[in-house]
Amino acid sequence: MDKLVTLWEGSGLYNLELGQAAMILVGLLLLYLAIYKKFEPLLLVPIGFGGILANIPEAGLAISALDQAIEVARPAVLQQMAAALGATLDPLANLDAWRESLKAIAHDSAAPDQVRAAKDIAMSVGYGDGMLYSFYSVAIASGIAPLIIFMGVGAMTDFGPLLANPRTLFLGAAAQFGIFATLFGAVVLSSMGIMDFSLNQAAAIGIIGGADGPTSIYVSSVLAPELLGAIAVAAYAYMALVPLIQPPIMRLLTTQKEREIKMTQLRPVSKLEKVVFPLVLLILVALFLPDAAPLLGMFCFGNLMRECGVVERLSDTAQNALINIVTIILGLSVGSKLMAESFLSFETLGILGLGIVAFGIGTAAGVLMAKLMNLVSKMPINPLIGAAGVSAVPMAARVANKVGLESNPHNFLLMHAMGPNVAGVIGSAVAAGVMIKYLG
Amino acid sequence: MQDYELLQDGLALMALGMGVVFVFLTILVISVTLMSKLIGRFEPAPVVAETSKSSPQSAAPSGQNDEMMAVISAAVHRYRSTRRR
Repeated sequence: MDKLVTLWEGSGLYNLELGQAAMILVGLLLLYLAIYKKFEPLLLVPIGFGGILANIPEAGLAISALDQAIEVARPAVLQQMAAALGATLDPLANLDAWRESLKAIAHDSAAPDQVRAAKDIAMSVGYGDGMLYSFYSVAIASGIAPLIIFMGVGAMTDFGPLLANPRTLFLGAAAQFGIFATLFGAVVLSSMGIMDFSLNQAAAIGIIGGADGPTSIYVSSVLAPELLGAIAVAAYAYMALVPLIQPPIMRLLTTQKEREIKMTQLRPVSKLEKVVFPLVLLILVALFLPDAAPLLGMFCFGNLMRECGVVERLSDTAQNALINIVTIILGLSVGSKLMAESFLSFETLGILGLGIVAFGIGTAAGVLMAKLMNLVSKMPINPLIGAAGVSAVPMAARVANKVGLESNPHNFLLMHAMGPNVAGVIGSAVAAGVMIKYLG
Repeated sequence: MQDYELLQDGLALMALGMGVVFVFLTILVISVTLMSKLIGRFEPAPVVAETSKSSPQSAAPSGQNDEMMAVISAAVHRYRSTRRR
């Protein structure tokens, strides 16, 4: 009978907490959105699955050896760890109270070397880091995975349309207003006492408006790792929703006549220009904004491999095999941050709400900038391509093309919209660099 | 009072961020335009390749003119030498 009880007490069902059950449902919802609604399936399938894995009770896949030991170790081990952490455990309190107080000490008040000593004790009695925790520390905490993905994106990007009409870079810059307006929005919400975001957290939330998955993950892993799960989910979910979010805003801000504007044919761009461009960008980053160097450096490297034409094999790997491998690991690591205690909070709702506002403002700013440029410049600019300034390559450009075709079935804007689209990638990486410089 | 400070910080970051993004991309626009102009001046490669591709076909049948032949052979030579590189 005793053995049966032990077995029952070790089962997932006995240990399942309400929060974990809710997070497993969230994971299933993400899988549903990815599989049946085709919402960025390449990322949401691994993220959703990782979220389910992270919330399996007692398995501790997403926590470190120390936390795992605190949650399940025998009292003797707990006392040893308490000694290492420089704390005393109240002998009268029960085991659960010990665990609670140890957890609080290990995460808040203990010095780094004490934590390390306690972790050594946990590992010496046989506890190890959870699988997802290891993925997270290798892939995201080190910053490697988002950067490799950025390299792959660079290897997939054709800067031809941008080089043919460099002024579209301004559209990519204007659309970054979404990032900073949202940052300010988050700060206002905190100062009114509705939410509680620090400036770092507000910046990490704002970057959702850059509509760039790897950049969002990179920035939040540096500035606000505790919000990473919610921010990554919001960024990818809204990127998938670009075709729904953008068109109403674009139609609202433009007249029928403006949507029908035809743009002049783009000039052909020579191969040499394409080879030199990533180097020019790299030199400018080195001179003016070294903090954007990790992101833009990898981006330029990927693009140079693509355009130089002598390393086909490397370029092919960067844009196919490597980016796929890293996407799997990145998705699972993001999933490990979908743990009940950090995700199920009022702040997550705030992040989701602010994220969609960021997209909207970015789109509107891009369109308005295009209208302004149309007034000033001699060459006609269709304001719809301004909306492609939020990165989300190539989805946003396709949306601009589609809305343009609705107004005039012979007006193909796709190539013109690719310019601001890739400019948006550069713009959001620059914005990320500024934030990391200012706050990091 | 701390709220006020946070608000001020947020506003400062917003202004600074947008400013830097615009300045950086403006510099990028200028340098890309310059780069394209420079490259266009020193190596008008695609134009040469295009004319040399089309000129032998259209000019060869009526090419009795010596001068025309010289131009064509020079273009072909140049096209081949650029191709080999």
